[in-house]
Amino acid sequence: MNPPGDAARLNALLDRVAAQRDRAAFAELFAHFAPRVKSYLMRQGVAPAQAEDLAQDALLNVWRKAHLFDPAKASASTWLFTIARNLRIDAIRREKRPELDPEDFKPEAEPDMGDAMALADDEVRLRDAMKHLPPDQALVIEASFFADKLHSQIATELDIPLGTVKSRLRLAMARLRAALGEMS
Amino acid sequence: MIRHHAPGDAKGIAHHPSDELLLAYAAGATDEAVGLIVATHMALCSQCRATVAAMEKIGGSLLEALPPAPLADTALDAALTKLDNARPHVRPHRTPSRDGTPEVLRAYLGGDLSQARWRRMGPKLAYLPLFRHGRTSAKLLRGAPGTEVGAHSHHGQEFTLVLAGGFTDVTGSYGPGDLQFADANLRHNPIADPGMDCVNLAVTTAPLKFENLLQKIAGPIFGF
Repeated sequence: MNPPGDAARLNALLDRVAAQRDRAAFAELFAHFAPRVKSYLMRQGVAPAQAEDLAQDALLNVWRKAHLFDPAKASASTWLFTIARNLRIDAIRREKRPELDPEDFKPEAEPDMGDAMALADDEVRLRDAMKHLPPDQALVIEASFFADKLHSQIATELDIPLGTVKSRLRLAMARLRAALGEMS
Repeated sequence: MIRHHAPGDAKGIAHHPSDELLLAYAAGATDEAVGLIVATHMALCSQCRATVAAMEKIGGSLLEALPPAPLADTALDAALTKLDNARPHVRPHRTPSRDGTPEVLRAYLGGDLSQARWRRMGPKLAYLPLFRHGRTSAKLLRGAPGTEVGAHSHHGQEFTLVLAGGFTDVTGSYGPGDLQFADANLRHNPIADPGMDCVNLAVTTAPLKFENLLQKIAGPIFGF
């Protein structure tokens, strides 16, 4: 979808926001992410006006939390996804999301300079693998992320048995794991 | 064998959440109680942390590939005017756990597991309700070695995460970090293993169906 260089560009913008409170960098991040976050929320049935407000909130969170972003752990897109997901749970479901605390585990390994680059490669491979999933498997993965529904409801909606949803998910996860090559 | 629980990576976890459950958590589709039990398992399990991190990357890829939905022309300016009042986020300071209770659980307990104020339910069993949303409830249970919860089946779903000690039922043995999933298809009578108290985090989406008359009457009083 985007060239690998895009991930590096977005990381650099986040870095400028964190280190220099750079408003021009923020404006570029806003232009890239706010319309995608709005789109993500509308897919889940959030009304356009509220989706726009929440997209603004997501980007304000980026401004407030840019110093916590760790490019060795996740790409800017993945980080934005988690921010948008949590905002939606707060605003729409009015529930807290229990989140793993960084205090709960020691880093698996000390991150090094190569990690951010390896991670960018991962995401390119992952995106490629997503594009090559059989359509019926891609559909259940997308429904899992965008429908705010449990898999039993997804089965009802797609009018297929729950067992079929589960087996498609397992097949898709196996392919995506293989593409990442980092999970057993 | 007594397995001691250590934060970060409990040894010998044999029972993990299913891919479907981890995916629902990564996507944000689990409710708060189920989210709590998945996150607490993740605090003890590096394998599931890695799986959820990979699933979040899938979420990031999907977000990146979405067709952008245009915002009002004034949206960026409106956001820029709010930046001056948007202070950098500071992680709240917390006293570190003394006994290795995962932070995500301490937030609900208000402290460490070893300081928990248990409510007695007979000589061998104690419990501590955390919260309830509708029919879904999250609670802690502590049973002395040999304690039986009582044979039951399920109206809804039951998730049980072992935090210390262990228990055994028809499906196998569960130790620290292990997560059991049960639904209408399972009738079981979990028994706490010998050696030390079994401490579990339990989430149910509907009351349990006890078979014993006394428990049928007492169950609802204690919130089971």
